[in-house]
Amino acid sequence: MAEIIRNFFKALRQITIGDRKYYMWLAFLSFFIFVGLAAYVQQLNRGLIVTAMRDQVSWGLYISNFTFLVGVAAAAVVLVVPAYIYNFKPIKEIAILGEMLATTAVILCILFVMVDMGQPTRIWHLLPFVGAMNFPSSLLAWDVVVLSGYLVINLTIFLYALYKLSLGKEYSLQFIAPLIILSIPWAVGIHTVTAFLYNGLSARPFWNASILAPRFLASAFCSGPAIMLVLFQIIRKVSRIEIEDKAIFKIAELIAYAMCLNLFLFGAEVFKEFYSGSIHLAPMKYLFFGLHGKTSMVPWMWWSVILNITALILFLTPSTRKNFLTLNTACICMLMGIYIEKGMGVVVPGFVPTTLGEIYEYSPTNYEILITMGIWALGAFIYTLMLKFAIPVYTGELRFESKKNKTA
Amino acid sequence: MSTKNKKRYAFVIEISKCIDCKACMVGCMAENNVPVAHSRNWVHQKGPNGVYPDLGMSFEPGNCMHCDNPPCERVCPTRATYKREDGIVLVDKDRCIGCKYCMMACPYNARYFDEEKGVVDKCTFCVHRIEAGLDTSCVHTCMTGARTFGDINDPNSDVSKLLAMNEHHVKLSSAGSGPAIFYIY
Repeated sequence: MAEIIRNFFKALRQITIGDRKYYMWLAFLSFFIFVGLAAYVQQLNRGLIVTAMRDQVSWGLYISNFTFLVGVAAAAVVLVVPAYIYNFKPIKEIAILGEMLATTAVILCILFVMVDMGQPTRIWHLLPFVGAMNFPSSLLAWDVVVLSGYLVINLTIFLYALYKLSLGKEYSLQFIAPLIILSIPWAVGIHTVTAFLYNGLSARPFWNASILAPRFLASAFCSGPAIMLVLFQIIRKVSRIEIEDKAIFKIAELIAYAMCLNLFLFGAEVFKEFYSGSIHLAPMKYLFFGLHGKTSMVPWMWWSVILNITALILFLTPSTRKNFLTLNTACICMLMGIYIEKGMGVVVPGFVPTTLGEIYEYSPTNYEILITMGIWALGAFIYTLMLKFAIPVYTGELRFESKKNKTA
Repeated sequence: MSTKNKKRYAFVIEISKCIDCKACMVGCMAENNVPVAHSRNWVHQKGPNGVYPDLGMSFEPGNCMHCDNPPCERVCPTRATYKREDGIVLVDKDRCIGCKYCMMACPYNARYFDEEKGVVDKCTFCVHRIEAGLDTSCVHTCMTGARTFGDINDPNSDVSKLLAMNEHHVKLSSAGSGPAIFYIY
Protein backbone atom coordinates (compact mmCIF):
# COMPACT_ATOMS: atom_id res chain seq x y z
CA MET A 1 0.00 0.00 0.00
CA ALA A 2 2.75 2.40 1.04
CA GLU A 3 4.45 1.62 -2.24
CA ILE A 4 1.33 2.45 -4.18
CA ILE A 5 1.00 5.78 -2.40
CA ARG A 6 4.67 6.58 -3.02
CA ASN A 7 4.29 5.69 -6.66
CA PHE A 8 1.13 7.71 -6.85
CA PHE A 9 3.01 10.80 -5.80
CA LYS A 10 5.78 9.98 -8.23
CA ALA A 11 3.16 9.75 -10.94
CA LEU A 12 1.68 13.01 -9.78
CA ARG A 13 4.87 14.67 -10.96
CA GLN A 14 3.45 14.11 -14.41
CA ILE A 15 1.43 17.30 -14.10
CA THR A 16 4.58 19.42 -14.05
CA ILE A 17 5.88 17.96 -17.30
CA GLY A 18 4.49 19.19 -20.54
CA ASP A 19 5.26 20.83 -23.83
CA ARG A 20 5.49 24.54 -24.50
CA LYS A 21 1.78 24.89 -25.29
CA TYR A 22 0.91 23.32 -21.94
CA TYR A 23 3.06 25.79 -20.00
CA MET A 24 1.75 28.74 -22.02
CA TRP A 25 -1.82 27.71 -21.27
CA LEU A 26 -1.09 27.43 -17.55
CA ALA A 27 0.69 30.79 -17.54
CA PHE A 28 -2.26 32.36 -19.33
CA LEU A 29 -4.64 31.03 -16.68
CA SER A 30 -2.30 31.99 -13.83
CA PHE A 31 -2.36 35.58 -15.01
CA PHE A 32 -6.15 35.76 -14.55
CA ILE A 33 -5.94 33.86 -11.27
CA PHE A 34 -3.46 36.40 -9.86
CA VAL A 35 -5.47 39.38 -11.08
CA GLY A 36 -8.56 37.87 -9.49
CA LEU A 37 -6.67 37.18 -6.29
CA ALA A 38 -5.40 40.76 -6.14
CA ALA A 39 -8.95 42.03 -6.63
CA TYR A 40 -10.15 39.70 -3.89
CA VAL A 41 -7.52 40.98 -1.46
CA GLN A 42 -8.83 44.48 -2.14
CA GLN A 43 -12.36 43.28 -1.53
CA LEU A 44 -11.29 41.73 1.78
CA ASN A 45 -9.60 44.94 2.86
CA ARG A 46 -12.31 47.34 1.84
CA GLY A 47 -15.34 45.14 2.32
CA LEU A 48 -18.17 44.30 -0.04
CA ILE A 49 -18.61 48.02 -0.72
CA VAL A 50 -16.30 47.46 -3.73
CA THR A 51 -19.05 45.36 -5.29
CA ALA A 52 -22.29 46.77 -6.70
CA MET A 53 -24.37 44.70 -4.30
CA ARG A 54 -26.48 46.89 -2.05
CA ASP A 55 -29.29 46.43 0.43
CA GLN A 56 -31.83 46.25 -2.40
CA VAL A 57 -29.86 43.71 -4.45
CA SER A 58 -27.95 41.61 -1.97
CA TRP A 59 -26.82 38.85 -4.31
CA GLY A 60 -25.24 39.50 -7.70
CA LEU A 61 -22.73 38.21 -10.20
CA TYR A 62 -21.04 35.79 -7.77
CA ILE A 63 -24.20 33.89 -6.93
CA SER A 64 -25.27 34.01 -10.59
CA ASN A 65 -22.11 32.09 -11.44
CA PHE A 66 -22.71 29.78 -8.51
CA THR A 67 -26.17 28.93 -9.85
CA PHE A 68 -24.84 28.29 -13.35
CA LEU A 69 -22.03 26.07 -12.05
CA VAL A 70 -24.28 23.97 -9.84
CA GLY A 71 -26.08 23.17 -13.07
CA VAL A 72 -22.83 22.19 -14.77
CA ALA A 73 -21.95 19.95 -11.83
CA ALA A 74 -25.36 18.31 -11.82
CA ALA A 75 -25.21 17.64 -15.54
CA ALA A 76 -22.41 15.11 -15.13
CA VAL A 77 -25.16 12.53 -14.66
CA VAL A 78 -26.11 13.01 -18.29
CA LEU A 79 -22.99 10.98 -18.95
CA VAL A 80 -23.24 8.71 -15.94
CA VAL A 81 -26.70 7.37 -16.71
CA PRO A 82 -26.06 6.12 -20.26
CA ALA A 83 -22.57 5.01 -19.32
CA TYR A 84 -23.22 2.83 -16.31
CA ILE A 85 -26.90 2.05 -16.30
CA TYR A 86 -27.38 1.34 -20.01
CA ASN A 87 -23.76 0.42 -20.54
CA PHE A 88 -23.56 2.58 -23.66
CA LYS A 89 -19.94 1.88 -24.51
CA PRO A 90 -18.93 5.10 -26.32
CA ILE A 91 -20.05 7.22 -23.40
CA LYS A 92 -18.82 4.86 -20.69
CA GLU A 93 -15.28 5.61 -21.74
CA ILE A 94 -15.68 9.31 -21.13
CA ALA A 95 -17.90 9.33 -18.05
CA ILE A 96 -14.81 9.83 -15.94
CA LEU A 97 -14.11 13.14 -17.72
CA GLY A 98 -17.61 14.28 -16.80
CA GLU A 99 -17.10 13.34 -13.17
CA MET A 100 -13.91 15.38 -13.06
CA LEU A 101 -15.77 18.32 -14.56
CA ALA A 102 -18.45 17.95 -11.89
CA THR A 103 -15.78 17.94 -9.18
CA THR A 104 -14.21 21.10 -10.60
CA ALA A 105 -17.60 22.79 -10.88
CA VAL A 106 -18.43 22.05 -7.24
CA ILE A 107 -15.08 23.51 -6.15
CA LEU A 108 -15.89 26.68 -8.11
CA CYS A 109 -19.35 26.82 -6.57
CA ILE A 110 -17.83 26.80 -3.09
CA LEU A 111 -15.40 29.56 -4.09
CA PHE A 112 -18.18 31.73 -5.52
CA VAL A 113 -20.09 31.47 -2.26
CA MET A 114 -16.95 32.26 -0.29
CA VAL A 115 -16.24 35.48 -2.20
CA ASP A 116 -19.84 36.58 -1.72
CA MET A 117 -19.57 36.42 2.06
CA GLY A 118 -18.95 39.44 4.22
CA GLN A 119 -17.13 37.41 6.86
CA PRO A 120 -15.50 34.45 5.04
CA THR A 121 -13.33 33.62 8.06
CA ARG A 122 -16.43 32.59 9.94
CA ILE A 123 -17.20 29.80 7.48
CA TRP A 124 -16.49 27.36 10.33
CA HIS A 125 -19.96 28.16 11.69
CA LEU A 126 -21.19 26.03 8.81
CA LEU A 127 -19.06 22.99 9.63
CA PRO A 128 -20.68 20.03 11.32
CA PHE A 129 -19.83 19.50 15.03
CA VAL A 130 -17.64 22.64 15.36
CA GLY A 131 -20.28 25.10 14.24
CA ALA A 132 -24.03 25.14 14.76
CA MET A 133 -25.42 24.97 11.26
CA ASN A 134 -29.13 25.72 11.03
CA PHE A 135 -29.56 22.47 9.18
CA PRO A 136 -33.05 21.36 8.49
CA SER A 137 -34.36 24.90 8.39
CA SER A 138 -31.99 26.90 6.19
CA LEU A 139 -31.78 25.98 2.52
CA LEU A 140 -28.28 27.42 2.43
CA ALA A 141 -27.27 24.86 5.03
CA TRP A 142 -28.84 22.17 2.82
CA ASP A 143 -26.78 23.46 -0.05
CA VAL A 144 -23.58 23.11 1.96
CA VAL A 145 -24.49 19.52 2.85
CA VAL A 146 -25.53 18.39 -0.62
CA LEU A 147 -22.66 20.11 -2.42
CA SER A 148 -19.99 18.69 -0.15
CA GLY A 149 -21.64 15.28 -0.41
CA TYR A 150 -21.62 15.52 -4.20
CA LEU A 151 -17.95 16.50 -4.13
CA VAL A 152 -17.08 13.45 -2.04
CA ILE A 153 -19.14 11.09 -4.23
CA ASN A 154 -17.59 12.29 -7.49
CA LEU A 155 -14.07 12.35 -6.11
CA THR A 156 -14.44 8.80 -4.83
CA ILE A 157 -15.84 7.49 -8.11
CA PHE A 158 -13.20 8.94 -10.36
CA LEU A 159 -10.25 8.36 -8.03
CA TYR A 160 -11.29 4.73 -7.66
CA ALA A 161 -11.69 4.35 -11.40
CA LEU A 162 -8.27 5.91 -11.97
CA TYR A 163 -6.70 3.68 -9.33
CA LYS A 164 -8.08 0.57 -10.96
CA LEU A 165 -7.03 1.73 -14.40
CA SER A 166 -3.54 2.43 -13.16
CA LEU A 167 -3.30 -1.20 -12.18
CA GLY A 168 -4.18 -2.01 -15.73
CA LYS A 169 -7.51 -3.50 -14.72
CA GLU A 170 -10.97 -2.77 -15.95
CA TYR A 171 -12.71 -1.13 -13.01
CA SER A 172 -15.28 -3.38 -11.45
CA LEU A 173 -18.67 -1.91 -10.85
CA GLN A 174 -19.23 -3.76 -7.60
CA PHE A 175 -17.54 -1.20 -5.40
CA ILE A 176 -18.71 1.96 -7.08
CA ALA A 177 -22.11 0.87 -8.37
CA PRO A 178 -23.97 2.03 -5.24
CA LEU A 179 -22.11 5.35 -5.39
CA ILE A 180 -22.92 5.82 -9.06
CA ILE A 181 -26.57 5.07 -8.47
CA LEU A 182 -26.54 7.45 -5.49
CA SER A 183 -24.91 10.16 -7.57
CA ILE A 184 -27.90 10.35 -9.94
CA PRO A 185 -30.58 11.46 -7.47
CA TRP A 186 -27.89 13.46 -5.69
CA ALA A 187 -27.14 15.46 -8.83
CA VAL A 188 -30.82 16.24 -9.25
CA GLY A 189 -30.77 17.07 -5.55
CA ILE A 190 -27.99 19.65 -5.68
CA HIS A 191 -29.77 21.60 -8.33
CA THR A 192 -33.17 21.28 -6.72
CA VAL A 193 -31.79 22.53 -3.43
CA THR A 194 -30.18 25.46 -5.24
CA ALA A 195 -33.52 26.26 -6.87
CA PHE A 196 -35.30 25.96 -3.52
CA LEU A 197 -32.80 28.45 -2.12
CA TYR A 198 -34.60 31.06 -4.20
CA ASN A 199 -37.93 29.33 -4.34
CA GLY A 200 -38.81 29.46 -0.66
CA LEU A 201 -38.91 33.23 -0.28
CA SER A 202 -42.54 34.23 -0.07
CA ALA A 203 -42.06 37.92 -0.81
CA ARG A 204 -40.14 37.47 -4.09
CA PRO A 205 -42.72 36.46 -6.70
CA PHE A 206 -40.22 35.90 -9.52
CA TRP A 207 -38.59 33.09 -7.55
CA ASN A 208 -41.63 31.98 -5.61
CA ALA A 209 -42.93 29.95 -8.57
CA SER A 210 -42.96 26.14 -8.45
CA ILE A 211 -41.61 26.00 -11.99
CA LEU A 212 -38.21 27.26 -10.86
CA ALA A 213 -36.66 23.91 -9.88
CA PRO A 214 -37.74 22.11 -13.09
CA ARG A 215 -36.48 25.07 -15.11
CA PHE A 216 -33.14 24.92 -13.34
CA LEU A 217 -32.79 21.22 -14.08
CA ALA A 218 -33.78 21.60 -17.71
CA SER A 219 -31.29 24.39 -18.33
CA ALA A 220 -28.60 22.48 -16.43
CA PHE A 221 -28.98 19.55 -18.80
CA CYS A 222 -28.36 21.97 -21.67
CA SER A 223 -25.40 23.93 -20.37
CA GLY A 224 -23.45 21.14 -18.65
CA PRO A 225 -23.35 18.76 -21.63
CA ALA A 226 -22.65 21.68 -23.97
CA ILE A 227 -19.47 22.44 -22.00
CA MET A 228 -18.57 18.76 -22.16
CA LEU A 229 -19.06 18.58 -25.93
CA VAL A 230 -16.60 21.42 -26.44
CA LEU A 231 -14.15 19.92 -23.93
CA PHE A 232 -14.30 16.46 -25.50
CA GLN A 233 -13.39 17.82 -28.90
CA ILE A 234 -10.42 19.64 -27.38
CA ILE A 235 -9.36 16.60 -25.37
CA ARG A 236 -9.39 14.23 -28.30
CA LYS A 237 -7.40 16.71 -30.30
CA VAL A 238 -4.62 17.29 -27.74
CA SER A 239 -4.43 13.84 -26.19
CA ARG A 240 -4.42 10.23 -27.21
CA ILE A 241 -7.90 9.63 -25.84
CA GLU A 242 -10.26 8.52 -28.51
CA ILE A 243 -13.77 9.80 -28.24
CA GLU A 244 -16.13 8.40 -30.80
CA ASP A 245 -18.28 10.75 -32.85
CA LYS A 246 -21.17 8.53 -31.84
CA ALA A 247 -20.80 9.58 -28.20
CA ILE A 248 -20.68 13.25 -29.10
CA PHE A 249 -23.75 13.06 -31.31
CA LYS A 250 -25.64 11.10 -28.66
CA ILE A 251 -24.95 13.85 -26.11
CA ALA A 252 -25.97 16.51 -28.66
CA GLU A 253 -29.26 14.68 -29.08
CA LEU A 254 -29.81 14.70 -25.30
CA ILE A 255 -29.13 18.44 -25.27
CA ALA A 256 -31.78 19.00 -27.93
CA TYR A 257 -34.42 17.30 -25.76
CA ALA A 258 -33.32 19.23 -22.68
CA MET A 259 -33.44 22.51 -24.58
CA CYS A 260 -36.97 21.81 -25.82
CA LEU A 261 -38.03 21.22 -22.24
CA ASN A 262 -36.22 24.31 -21.04
CA LEU A 263 -37.86 26.58 -23.58
CA PHE A 264 -41.23 24.99 -22.91
CA LEU A 265 -40.98 25.68 -19.18
CA PHE A 266 -39.79 29.20 -19.89
CA GLY A 267 -42.75 29.73 -22.21
CA ALA A 268 -45.12 28.43 -19.54
CA GLU A 269 -43.75 31.00 -17.14
CA VAL A 270 -43.98 33.82 -19.67
CA PHE A 271 -47.58 32.92 -20.47
CA LYS A 272 -48.66 32.80 -16.84
CA GLU A 273 -47.09 36.14 -15.99
CA PHE A 274 -48.11 38.12 -19.05
CA TYR A 275 -51.61 36.68 -19.54
CA SER A 276 -52.72 37.07 -15.94
CA GLY A 277 -50.97 40.42 -15.71
CA SER A 278 -50.95 40.49 -11.94
CA ILE A 279 -48.65 42.67 -9.89
CA HIS A 280 -46.13 39.82 -10.05
CA LEU A 281 -45.51 40.68 -13.67
CA ALA A 282 -43.16 43.51 -12.70
CA PRO A 283 -39.88 41.49 -12.52
CA MET A 284 -40.63 39.79 -15.85
CA LYS A 285 -41.42 43.16 -17.41
CA TYR A 286 -38.22 44.56 -16.01
CA LEU A 287 -36.25 41.77 -17.69
CA PHE A 288 -37.73 42.04 -21.17
CA PHE A 289 -39.03 45.59 -21.49
CA GLY A 290 -37.60 47.58 -18.62
CA LEU A 291 -39.46 49.19 -15.77
CA HIS A 292 -39.86 52.95 -15.31
CA GLY A 293 -37.12 53.61 -17.83
CA LYS A 294 -34.69 51.20 -16.17
CA THR A 295 -33.64 48.91 -18.99
CA SER A 296 -30.11 47.62 -18.29
CA MET A 297 -31.17 43.95 -18.41
CA VAL A 298 -33.28 44.20 -21.57
CA PRO A 299 -30.64 43.72 -24.32
CA TRP A 300 -29.05 40.85 -22.38
CA MET A 301 -32.31 39.01 -22.01
CA TRP A 302 -33.28 39.34 -25.68
CA TRP A 303 -29.84 38.14 -26.71
CA SER A 304 -30.29 35.18 -24.43
CA VAL A 305 -33.62 34.30 -26.06
CA ILE A 306 -32.17 34.66 -29.57
CA LEU A 307 -29.10 32.56 -28.69
CA ASN A 308 -31.18 29.85 -27.04
CA ILE A 309 -33.55 29.55 -29.98
CA THR A 310 -30.69 29.50 -32.49
CA ALA A 311 -29.01 26.77 -30.46
CA LEU A 312 -32.23 24.78 -30.26
CA ILE A 313 -32.68 24.85 -34.04
CA LEU A 314 -29.08 23.81 -34.63
CA PHE A 315 -29.30 20.97 -32.11
CA LEU A 316 -32.66 19.73 -33.31
CA THR A 317 -31.78 19.50 -37.00
CA PRO A 318 -29.90 16.21 -37.48
CA SER A 319 -27.72 17.59 -40.28
CA THR A 320 -26.45 20.57 -38.25
CA ARG A 321 -26.12 18.41 -35.15
CA LYS A 322 -23.75 16.11 -36.98
CA ASN A 323 -21.61 18.84 -38.49
CA PHE A 324 -18.88 19.94 -36.11
CA LEU A 325 -18.89 23.56 -37.22
CA THR A 326 -22.61 24.05 -36.59
CA LEU A 327 -22.50 21.80 -33.53
CA ASN A 328 -19.86 23.97 -31.91
CA THR A 329 -21.71 27.15 -32.86
CA ALA A 330 -24.77 25.70 -31.21
CA CYS A 331 -22.79 24.83 -28.06
CA ILE A 332 -21.37 28.34 -27.77
CA CYS A 333 -24.79 29.95 -28.41
CA MET A 334 -26.36 27.74 -25.81
CA LEU A 335 -23.68 28.36 -23.20
CA MET A 336 -23.95 32.12 -23.59
CA GLY A 337 -27.75 32.02 -23.67
CA ILE A 338 -28.08 29.88 -20.57
CA TYR A 339 -25.33 31.76 -18.72
CA ILE A 340 -27.37 34.97 -19.09
CA GLU A 341 -30.73 33.34 -18.54
CA LYS A 342 -30.01 31.42 -15.37
CA GLY A 343 -27.27 33.63 -14.04
CA MET A 344 -28.12 37.29 -13.85
CA GLY A 345 -31.49 36.58 -15.48
CA VAL A 346 -32.58 34.63 -12.42
CA VAL A 347 -30.83 36.47 -9.62
CA VAL A 348 -31.47 40.11 -10.52
CA PRO A 349 -35.25 40.10 -11.20
CA GLY A 350 -35.81 38.56 -7.78
CA PHE A 351 -34.61 41.85 -6.34
CA VAL A 352 -35.93 44.30 -8.91
CA PRO A 353 -38.32 45.76 -8.06
CA THR A 354 -37.84 45.22 -4.34
CA THR A 355 -40.61 43.87 -2.16
CA LEU A 356 -41.69 47.43 -1.43
CA GLY A 357 -41.45 48.57 -5.06
CA GLU A 358 -38.04 50.25 -5.15
CA ILE A 359 -35.86 49.87 -8.26
CA TYR A 360 -32.10 49.62 -7.88
CA GLU A 361 -30.28 48.67 -11.05
CA TYR A 362 -27.46 46.26 -10.40
CA SER A 363 -24.51 46.12 -12.70
CA PRO A 364 -21.33 44.40 -11.47
CA THR A 365 -18.22 46.44 -10.72
CA ASN A 366 -14.79 45.72 -12.15
CA TYR A 367 -13.81 44.03 -8.89
CA GLU A 368 -16.65 41.58 -9.24
CA ILE A 369 -15.81 40.89 -12.87
CA LEU A 370 -12.09 40.37 -12.18
CA ILE A 371 -12.75 38.07 -9.23
CA THR A 372 -15.25 36.10 -11.29
CA MET A 373 -12.76 35.72 -14.14
CA GLY A 374 -10.11 34.66 -11.64
CA ILE A 375 -12.30 31.90 -10.26
CA TRP A 376 -13.18 30.63 -13.74
CA ALA A 377 -9.49 30.63 -14.63
CA LEU A 378 -8.75 28.67 -11.47
CA GLY A 379 -11.37 26.17 -12.52
CA ALA A 380 -9.78 25.74 -15.93
CA PHE A 381 -6.40 25.38 -14.19
CA ILE A 382 -7.66 22.65 -11.87
CA TYR A 383 -9.39 20.78 -14.67
CA THR A 384 -6.29 20.97 -16.84
CA LEU A 385 -4.14 19.48 -14.08
CA MET A 386 -6.69 16.74 -13.47
CA LEU A 387 -6.71 15.85 -17.15
CA LYS A 388 -2.93 15.97 -17.34
CA PHE A 389 -2.80 13.33 -14.66
CA ALA A 390 -5.84 11.28 -15.61
CA ILE A 391 -5.41 11.00 -19.36
CA PRO A 392 -2.09 9.08 -19.39
CA VAL A 393 -3.43 6.77 -16.68
CA TYR A 394 -6.50 6.30 -18.78
CA THR A 395 -4.70 5.53 -22.00
CA GLY A 396 -2.29 3.25 -20.18
CA GLU A 397 0.85 5.36 -20.57
CA LEU A 398 1.07 5.99 -16.84
CA ARG A 399 1.09 3.21 -14.28
CA PHE A 400 1.96 3.37 -10.65
CA GLU A 401 1.51 -0.07 -9.28
CA SER A 402 4.72 -2.04 -9.72
CA LYS A 403 8.45 -1.57 -9.94
CA LYS A 404 8.79 -2.75 -13.50
CA ASN A 405 6.47 -0.11 -14.90
CA LYS A 406 8.41 2.79 -13.51
CA THR A 407 6.66 6.05 -14.09
CA ALA A 408 7.76 9.45 -15.18
CA MET B 1 -39.62 37.53 31.57
CA SER B 2 -42.21 35.52 33.39
CA THR B 3 -43.48 32.53 31.46
CA LYS B 4 -47.06 32.75 32.67
CA ASN B 5 -47.57 36.18 31.13
CA LYS B 6 -45.62 36.13 27.88
CA LYS B 7 -44.86 39.49 26.38
CA ARG B 8 -45.22 40.25 22.69
CA TYR B 9 -43.78 43.58 21.72
CA ALA B 10 -45.26 45.40 18.75
CA PHE B 11 -45.67 48.79 17.13
CA VAL B 12 -48.88 50.53 16.21
CA ILE B 13 -48.36 53.29 13.65
CA GLU B 14 -51.02 55.90 12.96
CA ILE B 15 -50.41 56.94 9.37
CA SER B 16 -52.56 60.07 9.64
CA LYS B 17 -50.25 61.48 12.31
CA CYS B 18 -46.98 61.16 10.38
CA ILE B 19 -45.68 64.43 8.93
CA ASP B 20 -42.53 63.01 7.28
CA CYS B 21 -40.12 64.91 9.55
CA LYS B 22 -37.88 61.82 9.70
CA ALA B 23 -36.97 62.44 13.32
CA CYS B 24 -37.45 58.71 13.95
CA MET B 25 -34.72 57.95 11.42
CA VAL B 26 -32.33 60.49 12.87
CA GLY B 27 -33.05 59.36 16.40
CA CYS B 28 -32.40 55.73 15.47
CA MET B 29 -29.17 56.46 13.64
CA ALA B 30 -27.83 58.39 16.63
CA GLU B 31 -29.02 55.90 19.22
CA ASN B 32 -27.84 52.77 17.44
CA ASN B 33 -24.77 54.16 15.70
CA VAL B 34 -26.08 53.14 12.29
CA PRO B 35 -23.39 53.34 9.57
CA VAL B 36 -23.59 56.13 7.02
CA ALA B 37 -25.83 55.50 4.00
CA HIS B 38 -27.94 52.98 5.92
CA SER B 39 -31.03 53.33 8.03
CA ARG B 40 -32.88 50.87 10.21
CA ASN B 41 -36.22 52.59 9.72
CA TRP B 42 -37.86 54.58 6.96
CA VAL B 43 -40.72 56.85 5.97
CA HIS B 44 -42.32 55.99 2.62
CA GLN B 45 -44.31 58.59 0.74
CA LYS B 46 -47.74 57.50 -0.49
CA GLY B 47 -49.22 59.66 -3.18
CA PRO B 48 -49.92 62.42 -4.09
CA ASN B 49 -53.36 61.11 -4.96
CA GLY B 50 -56.32 62.87 -6.54
CA VAL B 51 -56.65 65.74 -9.00
CA TYR B 52 -55.69 69.35 -8.31
CA PRO B 53 -56.89 71.09 -6.20
CA ASP B 54 -58.14 68.06 -4.26
CA LEU B 55 -54.85 66.34 -3.54
CA GLY B 56 -53.82 64.08 -0.73
CA MET B 57 -50.57 62.56 0.41
CA SER B 58 -49.66 60.34 3.33
CA PHE B 59 -46.52 58.96 4.89
CA GLU B 60 -45.89 55.48 6.09
CA PRO B 61 -43.10 54.98 8.62
CA GLY B 62 -41.70 51.52 9.16
CA ASN B 63 -38.85 49.38 10.42
CA CYS B 64 -38.17 45.69 11.02
CA MET B 65 -41.56 44.14 11.67
CA HIS B 66 -40.22 41.54 14.15
CA CYS B 67 -42.44 38.92 12.55
CA ASP B 68 -44.07 36.01 14.36
CA ASN B 69 -42.83 33.64 11.69
CA PRO B 70 -39.67 35.42 10.55
CA PRO B 71 -38.44 34.27 7.11
CA CYS B 72 -35.00 35.71 7.95
CA GLU B 73 -34.63 33.43 10.96
CA ARG B 74 -35.72 30.40 8.96
CA VAL B 75 -33.15 30.90 6.19
CA CYS B 76 -30.10 31.89 8.28
CA PRO B 77 -27.51 29.12 7.81
CA THR B 78 -25.70 29.77 11.09
CA ARG B 79 -28.56 30.61 13.47
CA ALA B 80 -27.20 34.16 13.74
CA THR B 81 -30.73 35.52 13.43
CA TYR B 82 -32.93 34.40 16.29
CA LYS B 83 -36.26 35.26 17.84
CA ARG B 84 -36.61 35.96 21.52
CA GLU B 85 -39.48 34.84 23.76
CA ASP B 86 -40.95 38.35 23.64
CA GLY B 87 -41.03 38.31 19.82
CA ILE B 88 -37.97 40.47 19.22
CA VAL B 89 -35.87 39.22 16.29
CA LEU B 90 -32.15 39.90 16.68
CA VAL B 91 -28.90 39.26 14.80
CA ASP B 92 -25.96 37.79 16.68
CA LYS B 93 -23.24 39.73 14.91
CA ASP B 94 -20.52 37.32 16.02
CA ARG B 95 -22.24 34.42 14.30
CA CYS B 96 -23.21 36.22 11.08
CA ILE B 97 -21.09 35.12 8.11
CA GLY B 98 -22.42 37.88 5.86
CA CYS B 99 -24.07 35.61 3.29
CA LYS B 100 -26.96 38.11 2.96
CA TYR B 101 -29.52 35.35 2.48
CA CYS B 102 -31.74 36.88 5.19
CA MET B 103 -31.83 40.15 3.24
CA MET B 104 -33.41 38.28 0.34
CA ALA B 105 -35.88 36.51 2.59
CA CYS B 106 -37.11 39.65 4.35
CA PRO B 107 -40.41 40.77 2.79
CA TYR B 108 -39.87 44.34 4.00
CA ASN B 109 -36.30 45.07 2.98
CA ALA B 110 -35.73 45.87 6.63
CA ARG B 111 -32.15 44.60 6.74
CA TYR B 112 -28.96 46.25 5.61
CA PHE B 113 -25.43 45.07 5.07
CA ASP B 114 -22.83 46.73 7.27
CA GLU B 115 -19.89 46.81 4.85
CA GLU B 116 -17.41 47.75 7.52
CA LYS B 117 -18.24 44.84 9.83
CA GLY B 118 -19.12 42.49 6.96
CA VAL B 119 -22.35 41.45 8.64
CA VAL B 120 -26.08 42.07 8.29
CA ASP B 121 -27.83 44.34 10.76
CA LYS B 122 -31.28 45.73 11.43
CA CYS B 123 -33.69 47.28 13.92
CA THR B 124 -33.52 45.72 17.40
CA PHE B 125 -36.68 47.36 18.79
CA CYS B 126 -34.06 49.25 20.86
CA VAL B 127 -33.80 46.20 23.07
CA HIS B 128 -31.20 47.91 25.27
CA ARG B 129 -33.65 50.75 25.97
CA ILE B 130 -36.79 48.73 26.59
CA GLU B 131 -34.90 46.46 28.97
CA ALA B 132 -33.99 49.60 30.89
CA GLY B 133 -37.67 50.56 30.99
CA LEU B 134 -37.42 53.26 28.30
CA ASP B 135 -39.31 53.75 25.02
CA THR B 136 -37.62 52.88 21.74
CA SER B 137 -35.63 55.73 20.25
CA CYS B 138 -38.01 56.27 17.31
CA VAL B 139 -41.01 56.48 19.62
CA HIS B 140 -39.10 58.82 21.89
CA THR B 141 -38.23 61.26 19.08
CA CYS B 142 -41.56 61.17 17.22
CA MET B 143 -43.08 64.62 17.65
CA THR B 144 -46.65 63.73 16.70
CA GLY B 145 -46.97 60.44 18.55
CA ALA B 146 -47.53 58.51 15.33
CA ARG B 147 -45.65 55.54 16.74
CA THR B 148 -46.82 53.59 19.78
CA PHE B 149 -44.81 50.73 21.23
CA GLY B 150 -45.88 48.12 23.72
CA ASP B 151 -46.94 44.61 24.64
CA ILE B 152 -49.97 43.41 22.64
CA ASN B 153 -50.47 40.50 25.05
CA ASP B 154 -51.30 42.99 27.79
CA PRO B 155 -54.88 44.19 27.19
CA ASN B 156 -54.23 47.37 29.18
CA SER B 157 -51.26 48.55 27.11
CA ASP B 158 -51.56 51.54 24.79
CA VAL B 159 -50.99 49.39 21.72
CA SER B 160 -53.74 46.94 22.70
CA LYS B 161 -56.19 49.77 23.26
CA LEU B 162 -55.38 51.34 19.89
CA LEU B 163 -55.81 48.01 18.13
CA ALA B 164 -59.09 47.34 19.90
CA MET B 165 -60.55 50.66 18.88
CA ASN B 166 -59.33 50.99 15.27
CA GLU B 167 -59.31 49.06 12.06
CA HIS B 168 -55.71 48.04 11.43
CA HIS B 169 -53.61 46.43 8.71
CA VAL B 170 -50.23 44.81 8.33
CA LYS B 171 -47.97 45.21 5.30
CA LEU B 172 -47.71 42.35 2.75
CA SER B 173 -49.77 39.93 4.79
CA SER B 174 -49.60 37.64 1.74
CA ALA B 175 -45.97 36.90 2.63
CA GLY B 176 -47.25 35.01 5.65
CA SER B 177 -44.61 36.29 8.03
CA GLY B 178 -46.97 37.67 10.69
CA PRO B 179 -45.47 41.14 11.11
CA ALA B 180 -45.74 42.93 14.46
CA ILE B 181 -46.20 46.45 13.11
CA PHE B 182 -49.86 47.39 12.78
CA TYR B 183 -50.95 50.35 10.68
CA ILE B 184 -53.98 52.49 11.39
CA TYR B 185 -55.07 54.67 8.47
